[in-house]
Amino acid sequence: MPSVWTTRGKGTLALAVFIALFLTSFAWGGAPPEFLENRLAKEELTLAKTPSLYFIVLLKSKVIALRSRGMTLQEWKIQGLHAWGDAAPLGALTLAKKSTLFPPKRAKIEPAASEEEAATFELDALELKDMPSRFTLFLSGEIRIEVRTKPSGFFPRLGNFGHIVAWNLWVPLKNLAFQLRKKPFGAIDIRLEKKDDGEALYWALHDGIKGLVFPL
Amino acid sequence: MNKKKAVRISLLILAAVLILIEVVAIVVAWPKPAAEASLGPEESDQMESAKIKAETISLHKKIGALAPRSVFIVIDTARNTLTLKSGDKTVLEAVVSCGSGSILEEPGGKRTWIFDTPRGEFQVKSKVIDPTWIKPDWAFIEEGKEIPKRREERFESGVLGDYALGFGDGYFIHGTLYSRLLGRSVTHGCVRVGDKDLKAVYQAASIGTKIYIF
Repeated sequence: MPSVWTTRGKGTLALAVFIALFLTSFAWGGAPPEFLENRLAKEELTLAKTPSLYFIVLLKSKVIALRSRGMTLQEWKIQGLHAWGDAAPLGALTLAKKSTLFPPKRAKIEPAASEEEAATFELDALELKDMPSRFTLFLSGEIRIEVRTKPSGFFPRLGNFGHIVAWNLWVPLKNLAFQLRKKPFGAIDIRLEKKDDGEALYWALHDGIKGLVFPL
Repeated sequence: MNKKKAVRISLLILAAVLILIEVVAIVVAWPKPAAEASLGPEESDQMESAKIKAETISLHKKIGALAPRSVFIVIDTARNTLTLKSGDKTVLEAVVSCGSGSILEEPGGKRTWIFDTPRGEFQVKSKVIDPTWIKPDWAFIEEGKEIPKRREERFESGVLGDYALGFGDGYFIHGTLYSRLLGRSVTHGCVRVGDKDLKAVYQAASIGTKIYIF
């Protein structure tokens, strides 16, 4: 019986895996673009009528935008994108929580014991550089967006490799478990170009912010 | 030998089962379009498509009409910048200081303050020349001092710069004695601006001028 582990067998398997993974980078097409654009405009109008900030993730255009009243306040380019599972519903989603390995911690101010102590000043603030560049956004509708940036250094690269393995092996299994329990599940993996972009995105998207994720 | 062979075969079968489960999982997890996307028009229906495009243009006009028509202020709390804008044009860019994000708890645990600059859309509600700071309770607690009973004991002049623009809930865009700290997140929620930029912002903004903070 021929073994699959011949050189040709390994090559064929690798090619099949590559094609499969490449194809998942085109996430969630479906309807004609004019329908999606119309729907996006309707949903954005509803959000833009409120004084709150909102975000829009355009999967095919590969852009994440923070907006208010239809104006883009900040925008981030997506370098790479993959998806598994159900598409995000074509309506406003709420950011339920952000999850990261090392969440930034707020400094606690201790009341000064004396006037001399009060006169000295020590800067201990939560700043942009304290934000993580790799995190997961949990949106309503069981949609999760995993954000990462280009790693530099041995441990970030190792972490990135681990993420790729988990994304391609673990996340489909998780989706299967959700499907068997008849629960929705959608996961998007977004890679941003720079670490700064990841930090700024984490900072900008606060818990409770509403937004749209569209395959446009 | 037989035992080794049996173990080897068992492991191969286990591996095959795991691979099969993984393949099934990948097939099931293949990205699927949104359910609502299937409610779109048939591609061949050109009239319907033209109607949808016209509606989309109208919707974009409505969205565009929500943007402020006159000068407005955009504050980036991450980068500590303030931008004065008129439409797409940038009138002024300034380095500022926004909230530190620190927490102060009142001894005894009754009240807690989180010193963030609030985010969202606001508007200028008041404009003050030569403002006097009316110190809130947290300022005394932070300094380890007793909270005064008389209101006059809270007044402190000369610390807020030459101008202040209030945008609600006790938050102001104002000046600062600590120009060297501009660009850092050091405030208790207000937005501190350097003297020259503050004057320009004060002169350009009026009551009702929109402020977008993110």
